[in-house]
Amino acid sequence: MISGRALVSRAAPLLTCLGLFVIWQVGSLALKNDSVPTALEALRAVPTIMGDKESLINILASLRRMAIGFGVAVLLSIPLGLLMGRNRFVASFFNPLLMVIYPVPKAALMPIIMLWIGVGDLSKTLVIFLGVSLPVIYHSFEGAKAVEEKMLWSGAAMGLSAAERMVRIVLPAALPEILTGCRTGLVLALITMVTSEMIARQSGAGNILFNALDMGQYDTVFAMIIVIGAMGICFDALFEMLRARLVKWSEPQFDMPLSFS
Amino acid sequence: MSVLSSRSDRRKRTAPASGLTTPMIEIDRVSQTFQTSSRKDHLALSDISLRVEDGAFVSILGPSGCGKSTLLYIVGGFVNPSQGTARTKGRPITGPGPDRGPVFQEFALFPWKSVLGNVMYGPRQQGVKPAEAEAQSRVLIEMVGLKGFEDFYPKELSGGMKQRVALARTLAYHPEVLLMDEPFGALDAHTRTRLQNDLLNIWERDRKTVLFVTHSVDEAVFLSDKVVMMTQSPGRIREIVDIDLPRPRRRTELLLDPRYQKYVVDIERMFDDTGEAEVLP
Amino acid sequence: MTARAVTADIVLGLVPLALLVALWQGLVSFGYAPTTLLPPPGIVFMRLAQQLSTPTFQQEIAATLFRLFAGFSIAVVLGVGIGLAAAASPPVNTIVRPAVRVLAPLPKVALYPALLLLLGFGHESKIVLVAADALFPILLSTYYGASTVEQKLIWSALAAGTSPRKVLFKVVLPAAAPSILTGCRIGLVISCIVVFLAEMITSTDGLGHVLVAAARTFQAVDMFVPLITISLLGLVLNGLLQALRAYLLRGFPEV
Repeated sequence: MISGRALVSRAAPLLTCLGLFVIWQVGSLALKNDSVPTALEALRAVPTIMGDKESLINILASLRRMAIGFGVAVLLSIPLGLLMGRNRFVASFFNPLLMVIYPVPKAALMPIIMLWIGVGDLSKTLVIFLGVSLPVIYHSFEGAKAVEEKMLWSGAAMGLSAAERMVRIVLPAALPEILTGCRTGLVLALITMVTSEMIARQSGAGNILFNALDMGQYDTVFAMIIVIGAMGICFDALFEMLRARLVKWSEPQFDMPLSFS
Repeated sequence: MSVLSSRSDRRKRTAPASGLTTPMIEIDRVSQTFQTSSRKDHLALSDISLRVEDGAFVSILGPSGCGKSTLLYIVGGFVNPSQGTARTKGRPITGPGPDRGPVFQEFALFPWKSVLGNVMYGPRQQGVKPAEAEAQSRVLIEMVGLKGFEDFYPKELSGGMKQRVALARTLAYHPEVLLMDEPFGALDAHTRTRLQNDLLNIWERDRKTVLFVTHSVDEAVFLSDKVVMMTQSPGRIREIVDIDLPRPRRRTELLLDPRYQKYVVDIERMFDDTGEAEVLP
Repeated sequence: MTARAVTADIVLGLVPLALLVALWQGLVSFGYAPTTLLPPPGIVFMRLAQQLSTPTFQQEIAATLFRLFAGFSIAVVLGVGIGLAAAASPPVNTIVRPAVRVLAPLPKVALYPALLLLLGFGHESKIVLVAADALFPILLSTYYGASTVEQKLIWSALAAGTSPRKVLFKVVLPAAAPSILTGCRIGLVISCIVVFLAEMITSTDGLGHVLVAAARTFQAVDMFVPLITISLLGLVLNGLLQALRAYLLRGFPEV
């Protein structure tokens, strides 16, 4: 039997969501602002969106772009980060470049990229790819750097080649940190996806959002906010579960303050 | 008023008060239970009773995990006993206070303050004006042998130096009791012996009451008037040994003194008898 | 690290940047990219220099900076305040923890339309968005730093006569400073990004708006200028924060 306290703490996020909705409901009724629908009205609009074929296609397209951008970024960034972490030259080579790119909002590159390669899927996916790459590279770098030299010496003594050491020692040892980077990347992927669609206004969830805003369909606007918000929470929760499974041997991680785990 | 005497100093600089007056520290049937992560209760201390007279240097000696630090923290007011009471000068201990100053094994210096800043902390808390607090602190810093290091930050100091700062910091707010929790445990042997000597020299000037936790038999015998021997898990007082050696004590003389040697051997034997050797044959 | 090693590092680090610029120039000179899409670096930097001395552009920068600082400051005050409170007080903790767990993974930019409806299209909506995005890293860093303060530090202060309430400000806050400042750094970067993006989505002024306006008129040069500007701004602000951090944390072992 789960104790009462554990039950409350498990239910706490759910209670908070309910609490937020209540605050929203009360607030919107008090505001009496036509452009701000009540929580209930917004919630009612959610199934409408999900049921609408075109919107659904849009949202799925968004998710697909996000998945591809995220996947490719992770596949390329982890090796690069690991290499940077173990090889000082590689690190010194890439570090300043990355530091310059870091503060540039990747979604802001949308107009330029659109100018170059058009408004299709590729531009948005590219931007997501760029957005995810940086934190994953950085965290892979930090994780690889922190691997104890002595572990690698033991590996070398056991006859592992440099490449084998990288894959069989550095990678697992750095995995907790790498996954922290991936979690950040996931958050950024979602944000970049939404923002690039808000800027490019071609298709996707962000586009639906602003279209509805333009057309005065405020219920839809807030309903989409709920949908996107739910996506964010779901992805994060799923990722955390995956992460806990993969690195249950590790100490609790905390240097990228994303949330309470 | 010298730097070492407390504001409400009514103590004479002579032998400690007799047992007829209220003891400086009185521990009455104190027990301490902790909840461990496996949800079982761990009895750390069991039915401890102890009286410490004013001006006595008392060591609490025992193996690791016997609860001796816990006992110190109870006297310090950092931990509340599960059972029993601890009193100082007749008044129950309800929390930490400047009358009982701690010195920890980990030094616990404020890293954002310089040596001077650390030592001045206590006086400033007590409302002493900055200029006077600084002057007093500088005297103390010199007394612990760190003249010239006032503006250094703790990270720039060695372990021994940090502990000197910690001692100066505690002395700065004139506690009546010094609570020392294995203060030299993190230091190498050479630094440790130097600091033991220095501690005694400083203590001789003022003869505060000292509760000194250690797991080293010769350290306990060398420093104290009384050695309180504790058993392990749950911690109980096994024996209290009066150390009747003259003061001031010099290490080089004492090491060759047969009385000192006898104390050390007797105490070690007593620990051995209860089968509390660390390594079984 | 020896001086030679450091300079070697810097030189090595400049190589990719130089290569990038060279590549850029190369693409243009050899005709791989039309100048309408990818103007030569020389022209871009000249335009940048020119714009930086223009009052109108400076005003755009000012608008962006204003929103950035306002949002960031709110995030710092709220983040540190709530973080400390949650670390120090169990009741606050029980409320804050689940709230953060729910709100942190939300892409706050999705709230932007709601903010526009509530606060209009001017400064306020952007400031609130910046604050909302920068808040969480700062709050979490503060909470983490405050709740992992070495117990003996607090005990030493209590024994020296500090009241439990004052301990929060005299010991916990300074001891948590390294963590707080790390959070602030992340928050600052996020602020730069968010303010720019918000201005790109809807605005009548600011650097983001400059970029969008240039995009509409297909002025590639004028599109690069605000991007490089925000990049430089980010670097400068980051540098300032690092300098502040180095000063504030001069006593701490690992800076």
